[in-house]
Amino acid sequence: MSSKGAELVVRALEQQGVEHIFGYPGGAIMPVYDALLNSPIKHILARHEQGAALAADAYARVTGRPAVCMATSGPGATNLVTGIANAFMDSVPLVVITGQVPTVVMGTDAFQEVDVFGITMPIVKHSFIIRRAEDIPRTIAQAFQIAAEGRPGPVLVDLPKDISNAVPGATPIFEMRRSQHDSPDPAQLEIARELIRNAKRPVLYGGGGIPMAGAVDAFRAYARASNIPVVLTLKGLGSVPTRDENFLGMLGMHGNRAANQAIQESDLLICIGARFDDRATGRLDGFAPKAKVIHMDADPSEINKLRHADAGLLGDLLESLAAMPTELSIEPWRRWCAERKAEHAWRYDAPGDYIYVPDMLRRLTDAAPDVTIACDVGQHQMWVAQHCHFDRPEQHLTSAGLGTMGYGVPAGIGACLARPGARVVTVSGDGSIMMNIQELATIKRYGLDLKILLVDNSSLGMVRQWQQLFHQERYSEVDLSDNPDFVEVAKSFGVPGFRITRRDEVDGAIRRLVETEGPLLAHVCIDPKSNVWPLVPPGQSNDVMMEELSA
Amino acid sequence: MNHTLRMTIHKVEGAIIRLLGLIERRGFSVTEMNALADEAAQRVEITMHVSSAGRSIETLAKQIEKLYDVHSVACLTAAEPRPVLKESVAC
Repeated sequence: MSSKGAELVVRALEQQGVEHIFGYPGGAIMPVYDALLNSPIKHILARHEQGAALAADAYARVTGRPAVCMATSGPGATNLVTGIANAFMDSVPLVVITGQVPTVVMGTDAFQEVDVFGITMPIVKHSFIIRRAEDIPRTIAQAFQIAAEGRPGPVLVDLPKDISNAVPGATPIFEMRRSQHDSPDPAQLEIARELIRNAKRPVLYGGGGIPMAGAVDAFRAYARASNIPVVLTLKGLGSVPTRDENFLGMLGMHGNRAANQAIQESDLLICIGARFDDRATGRLDGFAPKAKVIHMDADPSEINKLRHADAGLLGDLLESLAAMPTELSIEPWRRWCAERKAEHAWRYDAPGDYIYVPDMLRRLTDAAPDVTIACDVGQHQMWVAQHCHFDRPEQHLTSAGLGTMGYGVPAGIGACLARPGARVVTVSGDGSIMMNIQELATIKRYGLDLKILLVDNSSLGMVRQWQQLFHQERYSEVDLSDNPDFVEVAKSFGVPGFRITRRDEVDGAIRRLVETEGPLLAHVCIDPKSNVWPLVPPGQSNDVMMEELSA
Repeated sequence: MNHTLRMTIHKVEGAIIRLLGLIERRGFSVTEMNALADEAAQRVEITMHVSSAGRSIETLAKQIEKLYDVHSVACLTAAEPRPVLKESVAC
């Protein structure tokens, strides 16, 4: 018996091993939702399509496999756009399925018609409109392969309703081409080896490409064997444990001073799965000015894009790392880096009675070293990156490239579903949490054990900080002192909550977060004037780091 | 700098607009273009003159090559010294 297109979609997803789909139903996608009723795949109903896309993003980051989100045409599809862009900027494998109006009315401004294929073109790795039901199995299989291979990314499949309702004449068969395996060029490998042998002050500059390539163990092994000091990007955090003696810290705008100084002094930058992003480099022509560069990446277009690479190693990071020399004479440099690390170690003896967020976050990961933190965007995001301890990159879910406020709660949901039983805490701010507050209903609906640590400074803190520092304290639209009562809001969604305002309440709050079964929101009121330090002003080079202004 | 690119792309929905969108977004303008569809082969041969004030044609060619619908891309003009990006911090 022949199946309808919608059934072919669901069967293709089952063949890919999909266990969860994040989505929201509607008119044009309804045949697929009908077919889902007969499938073992579990559908997770978000309360806004953006929540579905962002939860799928985090699910993919934790599982390392493509995740699926789905929505109807028109507003359903446009609501996915931020989530798709988020996955694109952070190279996260997503398969996005959108319903589309029937092919006969496409282009007539039909009800709930938008050209989501056109809208998303610059923010997808690839996209398809399916025009024939018999193409469904092949297209879905291709979508998964493209999303996952090489440098991962989101792939959109737009599915007109008449196609999902059609019964194809022939039994569709398809054959996947094999994934290509790229190896680094032997000549470039030799140049890289020579550069490392001759380097006096090398630094390993690691990024999100390390976990994505499944190269965390290989990276650690090389770092340990070579004893080269390590700095990591926001997305690379956890590629070596943050307590590793060779780890100097995160680099960049809100990086650790020791990490930035080591980069500035280095004579060889070994860039592994990172992309010289402006938040990491500061002013590009002042970044690591004395260094030659070895660049290892899966994406050929990243090499030489922003910084000339003296050796470019494409393809498999495992192969490239395994070929690098380890017997180095860099003791004086290592000592210099260790001294900088000691000199610029974070301090937690902040004066005053207000809750000091860096100290609270440090204590949280001390109390629960296995915790996965799903972060929102803003000051608290930088505090998490600076002060939390991570043993693995999958423990730190953050919207790095796009900086999507509203990521934290959906990301926490995705992480809970990706690893049932895992300890997950969303760290959010009073600005960010309101962007996807509706997803508290999803936590309740699926009984997820998600903890939320809501850091509330009654303002859009990062914007306020920039207005203070770079706009002569002309504060524009950053005051959120009329926030709702977040504990009451959470309660109304069926999520219990409590509030703390004093420093001596912090340990008790962490204990409750760690020990309570089920969801819980801790509302933490802090000094509205807190800022993130140090800070490289925008457009400056990384040796210009501002420290805390005198009170 | 002015360059000539010759590309072969698969003749599928969205392939041309995806190519043009990428080229403009990555800082190049199209000054001349010729596209010829080969229906039998389901391919389109495109020759394009592009110019840019400060972006690298090598990087652009690699970015084009990554597009799933692009079969081949060749730059017919001579290589040039790598341009230096002036503005590195967007905001």
